[in-house]
Amino acid sequence: MVHILTFCTASQPEIPRHPLELLAAARALSAQLGEGTVHTLCVGPASGAYGEELIHRGADRVLTVECPSVEAEIALAVVESAVRHLAPQVVLLPHDDLSGAYVGPCLAYRLETGIATDCGGFAVQGEDIRWLRPVYGGKAMAYMRIRGPVQLATMRSRAFDPLPADPTRRGEIQSFPADWESVRPQIRVVERLEEKEEGELPLDRAEIIVSGGRGIGSAEGFAVLRELARVLGAAIGGSRPAVDLGWVPHSHLVGQTGKIVAPNLYIAVGISGAAQHIAGAGSSKTIVAINKDSDAPIFKLAHIGVVEEWEKVIPALIEACREWRS
Amino acid sequence: MHIIVCIKQIIDPEVPFHLFRIDPVAKRQIQGTHPLVISTYDEVAVEVALQLKEKVGGRVTALTLGKKEALQALHQTLAMGADDAILLSDLNFEEMDSFGKARVLAAAVRKIGEFDLILCGRQAGDVELGLVGPFLAGELGIPCVPLVANFEVANGTIRMRRPVETGYEILEAPFPLLATITNDTSNVPRYASVKGLRAAMRAPIPCWSSADLGLSADALGPKPLRIEIDELFIPHREMRCELIEGESGAEKARNLAARLKALGLIG
Repeated sequence: MVHILTFCTASQPEIPRHPLELLAAARALSAQLGEGTVHTLCVGPASGAYGEELIHRGADRVLTVECPSVEAEIALAVVESAVRHLAPQVVLLPHDDLSGAYVGPCLAYRLETGIATDCGGFAVQGEDIRWLRPVYGGKAMAYMRIRGPVQLATMRSRAFDPLPADPTRRGEIQSFPADWESVRPQIRVVERLEEKEEGELPLDRAEIIVSGGRGIGSAEGFAVLRELARVLGAAIGGSRPAVDLGWVPHSHLVGQTGKIVAPNLYIAVGISGAAQHIAGAGSSKTIVAINKDSDAPIFKLAHIGVVEEWEKVIPALIEACREWRS
Repeated sequence: MHIIVCIKQIIDPEVPFHLFRIDPVAKRQIQGTHPLVISTYDEVAVEVALQLKEKVGGRVTALTLGKKEALQALHQTLAMGADDAILLSDLNFEEMDSFGKARVLAAAVRKIGEFDLILCGRQAGDVELGLVGPFLAGELGIPCVPLVANFEVANGTIRMRRPVETGYEILEAPFPLLATITNDTSNVPRYASVKGLRAAMRAPIPCWSSADLGLSADALGPKPLRIEIDELFIPHREMRCELIEGESGAEKARNLAARLKALGLIG
């Protein structure tokens, strides 16, 4: 019997996509490893509300911990307690700021077990799991072998598509008695500063991203891209030169030293396609490149290309999309 | 304030795809003619350390685990403004995973003695696991504060600034602590001046071996290795870019829109 534990934070009313992707990964893994159950540890104020959906999306058992907020140290204590209590063979965590940079690594240290971070997949042979993850900024891929009492992996977002909801699936939902109240966090958030423009979509949740590079030429040029993003319901991104020149905020940087994204559609405008940028956008399902230079490396990676000055294409593209809308 | 920055030397991560080569047997990148540089986020960590030193005073010690050529990375750190640099080098250090590396770094930190803050880049630019920082905090039994971009000093309190999706979080935690460093517009690494580099080349840099650190081969983490690359390969990307044609930019735009709609990607 192979038991897989997945982790889900529940701080917003709607269930996000990433924990559902983990369930799809867990079911795929479980099918290859043979019989076994998939448990989901759901931590946060909305954990009760997530239970049923998690079961419809692949969990056999949901363990809820209704703590008021999911601070890093509380999350770590709760996950550690669940792993020690349930003794799963595999633990899948989302590769996000909380789990990828803190909960996963700290848990691995405490359990003295190997961990593969930022995984996009796995290969199973018998009982042996090899974890597939990008290395060298996505220029190479590595199958990692990890050893220790439990296989621990953080999975990058959009590596798996959530399973369709199956309302006939049955499972257990129960409260998990984790002692989060006695955790005294040493790291305290004393202030939160909002810096988001009204109505802007975060990069990691967008199905479509419109991204611009040095070729856009100015902040005014980015205003045109923003208009396209608005019409498409897309998020706005930028390559490093565009961010360094101040045309788009740092939080919208797509690349090896920024956000790694994998939307359904990535529209790269005036972006040449440096390795640093491809590391951040190369896993997108469909890449469209718009660039006046037909030799730009981005065309070696794009699925669809338009060789043209962006100023001649984007306004007409906005127009065409608006016509459908109306 | 004594700040220790842990840095790693790697092959220039800006090497373009078509020049990138690997040795599939040794399971690592082939250097070829590409330069060695300080790993991106570690260089940012040096900048963050120097900025904090400028605010509160104190000194910055750079620490690296590597072969002799890693001296070059330490020279650069000194030229940027670090006060001391130490190389940790030993044949025994070459086959270690993140557990072993954290143990060696922890032994070096103990040998250095007093410190207030340790900074590590959020992840190295080669294997990108992001484990050594949190593991080192574990070895030393100090808090690990992930993904910090900078430190602010207000009323004698040092606070950390962390970029999040909605803006920034300001954090407090008891010192000594370890912070993993991410980049934002406030911490773009400064250049090392030529004069600084010349002076740094003459600075003595101690090199500590496993014996200096009192570490036996058994103390270099659990064996067999807990984390290993089993297979390294360059993914085959056979991409044929479908070019959208048209008489004018506007026509290309309309054809592109129609194509994207037909593929169900927009609309």
